[in-house]
Amino acid sequence: MRRFLSPSALFKQVLMLSMAVAAIYPVYYMMETSLKTRQAWTQDQFGLPLPPTLDNYAALLEDGRIPIWFMNSVIVTTASVVVATIVSTLAAYAIARLSFRGRTFLLRLLVALMVIPPAVLILPLFLGMQPLGLTNSYLGVVLIYVGMLIPFSVYMLSSFFRTLPGELFEAARIDGASTLRMLWSIVVPLSGPGFVTLIVVNAMWVWNELLIALVFLQDDKRRTLMAGLTTLRSRFAVNEPLVMAGMFLGALPILLLFLFGQRYFVRGLVAGAVK
Amino acid sequence: MPYLLVAPAVAFIVLIYGYPIVRVFIDSFLSPTAARGTSVGLANYGFVIDDPVFWKSAGNNVFLLFGVPIMTVVALIVAVILFDQIRGWRLYRTLVFTPYILAIPVIGVTFVYLYGYNGIVNEILRAIGLGGLAQDWLGDPHLVMPSILSVIIYRELGFGVMLFLARMASIREELYEAAMIDGADWWARLRYITVPQLRTVISFFVVIELITMLSWVFSYVYSMTGGGPAFASSVLELYIWKYAFAYRAIGIASAVAVLLLVATSVFIVVQLLIRGDETDTGEE
Amino acid sequence: MNRSLARLGGLVVASSLMLAACGAASSTTAPTTAPTTATAATTAPAAPTPAPSEAAKPVSLEFWYWAESDAPGADKWMAETVAEYKKIKPNVTVNVVPQSADTLISAFQTAAASKSGPDIASQWATGPVLSFVWSDSIAPISDLVPADEISHWLNTNENTYNGKVWAMPQYLLGIGLAYNKDLFAQAGVTPPTGDRWTWDEFMAASAKLKAAGITPFVGGDKNGYLGAWWFANVGGQELASVQELAKAVTGEVPFTDPKYAAWYTKLDEYVKAGYVNNDVMSLDLDQGVRLFSQGKGAMTFTSDGMLATAMKDLGEAKVGVMRPPKLGTGALADAGNATQSISHFVTSWSPNPQEAADFLQFMHTPDRLTAWYKATGVVAADDRFDSSLVTAPQLQSMAKAETTGPQVWLENWIPPQIDGDADLPAGQMIFSGSGTPADAAALWERTATTWRSAHPDELANWQQLAK
Repeated sequence: MRRFLSPSALFKQVLMLSMAVAAIYPVYYMMETSLKTRQAWTQDQFGLPLPPTLDNYAALLEDGRIPIWFMNSVIVTTASVVVATIVSTLAAYAIARLSFRGRTFLLRLLVALMVIPPAVLILPLFLGMQPLGLTNSYLGVVLIYVGMLIPFSVYMLSSFFRTLPGELFEAARIDGASTLRMLWSIVVPLSGPGFVTLIVVNAMWVWNELLIALVFLQDDKRRTLMAGLTTLRSRFAVNEPLVMAGMFLGALPILLLFLFGQRYFVRGLVAGAVK
Repeated sequence: MPYLLVAPAVAFIVLIYGYPIVRVFIDSFLSPTAARGTSVGLANYGFVIDDPVFWKSAGNNVFLLFGVPIMTVVALIVAVILFDQIRGWRLYRTLVFTPYILAIPVIGVTFVYLYGYNGIVNEILRAIGLGGLAQDWLGDPHLVMPSILSVIIYRELGFGVMLFLARMASIREELYEAAMIDGADWWARLRYITVPQLRTVISFFVVIELITMLSWVFSYVYSMTGGGPAFASSVLELYIWKYAFAYRAIGIASAVAVLLLVATSVFIVVQLLIRGDETDTGEE
Repeated sequence: MNRSLARLGGLVVASSLMLAACGAASSTTAPTTAPTTATAATTAPAAPTPAPSEAAKPVSLEFWYWAESDAPGADKWMAETVAEYKKIKPNVTVNVVPQSADTLISAFQTAAASKSGPDIASQWATGPVLSFVWSDSIAPISDLVPADEISHWLNTNENTYNGKVWAMPQYLLGIGLAYNKDLFAQAGVTPPTGDRWTWDEFMAASAKLKAAGITPFVGGDKNGYLGAWWFANVGGQELASVQELAKAVTGEVPFTDPKYAAWYTKLDEYVKAGYVNNDVMSLDLDQGVRLFSQGKGAMTFTSDGMLATAMKDLGEAKVGVMRPPKLGTGALADAGNATQSISHFVTSWSPNPQEAADFLQFMHTPDRLTAWYKATGVVAADDRFDSSLVTAPQLQSMAKAETTGPQVWLENWIPPQIDGDADLPAGQMIFSGSGTPADAAALWERTATTWRSAHPDELANWQQLAK
């Protein structure tokens, strides 16, 4: 009894409870507001939606643009993550298990590149892609995303590959396996969790990305979900529930992914720091 | 063989990082308008240095830097509390981490409503009798940056907590046991074992967040205020974006990009020094 | 890993990669066709009807359309118009892509930079339209539409340059000062006998309202547009003409001159006296007007459409409208403030300029004009518009003000950069109290100087305008 109510334990519970509530309240607010009608919201901003309505979601889906934006996000995210994973795997394998001149330099370079601000890159990339007709195209955006995913992906994968037991490679080498063969039959099968983690983290990053999507996919037909959502607020300034419904739709895919695969997120995001 | 394997990745890096960085340097010395070609020496930099909006933007980024210590300390405290595995710690951990996986525009737009003059934050203040403290959090030029900072902290905190918890999980039990046998109390254990063991991770987090405050806050500002009111919340990324895409003043945008790159590089170098030894690849 | 899941994953991946590649392919073909058609569009004298041999060819037009924010109901009307047009010209498909105000200019700038994109587009009149004229992105509408048709369009001077009309108006928007008759009565305020108050009368009335516990003026300046409206309606009243404004743009006269800047002092007084709602910086323009519709404020600036909405919300009998208060003594003080707001034009790279122009013309057929008014309540910018459709007296008085005498929407007559970087933030400075009137004027001057040094090419064009 005493241990339960000890002042420090109580204090910690109260603190954590209030932090958790504060952390989750905005999501709750988003959901709650999206289920109200416009009139209901102007009358009562904070109370529960009684009765709740799915009209806002219906309106958004009917509008026709949200599904298009959603598809664009899916296309761009999938293509970027797939290409980035393949390219990064090849490079990470080489860095982790082969020795060659410039290996250390390359790894250090990648670490440095991880944090270069996209704002520095957007203008020259835009100017460079324009004459090639790559602005406003999926290909241009995917190229950029892949480029930006590579430093982190290679770094993470190479750390992971290095933890693979050396004996397996020794054995394969004695058997006369080529480098590529070793990659294919040892590294890939054993790195399942690593790949899943990387893919999850990369997908989240691309899906949530705004600046590049805003600049390079301005045509409304090609716009990604995030970029499209930012236009919702000005278009529907007086229909707050509708805007919140849009926001919630934008957050939903990643939220679902998170609920089902929490540990992959955690593992991936902290992987950069913890060995 | 190895070169073949790294070639695609290197190609991408050259394309997406190498070319733009070089070009941004060159463009910063060229004529400010879209009609490129003529060199104007340092005129673009001169323009930028004379522009109060540039300094306001840079100042705002610097202001955000001061949020990093706050963020770090709070994340540390939360991590320590959760590490003691109080009841429900796993749930708390998930909830605190949730904001980090949400897209920034989603959080930003939601907070615009929460921080509105008649939004819930003020309503709560009024309900508990502190109505006098109710402000226009995003509309008052003096409060807009702290308000935006609070949203950034709100989100990045989860990352910090997760990071620290993960590292704490690998601190060897024996250290704590030995300390407790020696009679160390909670505070002493924290000070002499936990924090020192976390040193690397803390410095990693601090550097990452410092860089974030300089170069990865565009989405927050864009979705919450667009840089207003009257430039009060402008940041360097926004400034670059505006001059590059709204005004097509390529020389000026490039000059600011170069300055931003230089500033970020300072932190990159610091990070490399800290983690330099960890990126050493030993011989197999 | 689950087999079928993996297969599904593979399918998604494969299709995404293919789509991505296709996307690249389709966008790379567009620029190569653009240069040749651009020259064709501007040099060919256009016939009003397409040659018979072309009539059967399927034509697809993309229209980046904006009007809904100004005139709610516009998007629906446009959908109907497209359907109606298909009945007349079955081989022409018009694909309308509604635009958002925030990205209206930048999205088209991107298209203009690569000379590819829509066949028809919308931009705000004068400043923005002209900036695209000067970048060779617009095909002059007067080359594609017969002169007698154009003569029916109103306010075409807003897009006239070098003897050509470059874009087509659709509707006319004016701004009026709407007021709540009940709240006025409550505070003992009587509306003006004429069609507007003087500034002193406006201040006096606001004082009475405040004393009665009523918020005199409500609005939302979070995105800066309220300040821009104040500038357009009140700010230019010391000027004699738009040429005078252009002189400040070109630098002949500084913006700090009292002719351009003194009005900020008046606005500042108004705000400091507490006559404006205290969450003005927290609300967007529309949200601010909504306060008026909810009876939470006595006055606000409204467009025709907003006025109609307010009348619906509060009841027609409770809402009155007057012209913005008279502050200055220049000729512009007496001018109306109606503008076409948005203008539609054919892009210089469209492969089907004549078809595009024909569709634009169709938007002005009397049938469509009537349908427009019924859908949006906003007056059409055409003298063939049947004004008897406007029934409510408040809307009638606005419509009359908009079509009588000279009309100037001042905001149109500055370059977009000066609008965005000076006009809007200056207003925000005053409403949020973060800057003095002198700061606001200094901001205008500094921005104009910046603009001039960054755009020497456009400067020459504005100097022409200033004559």
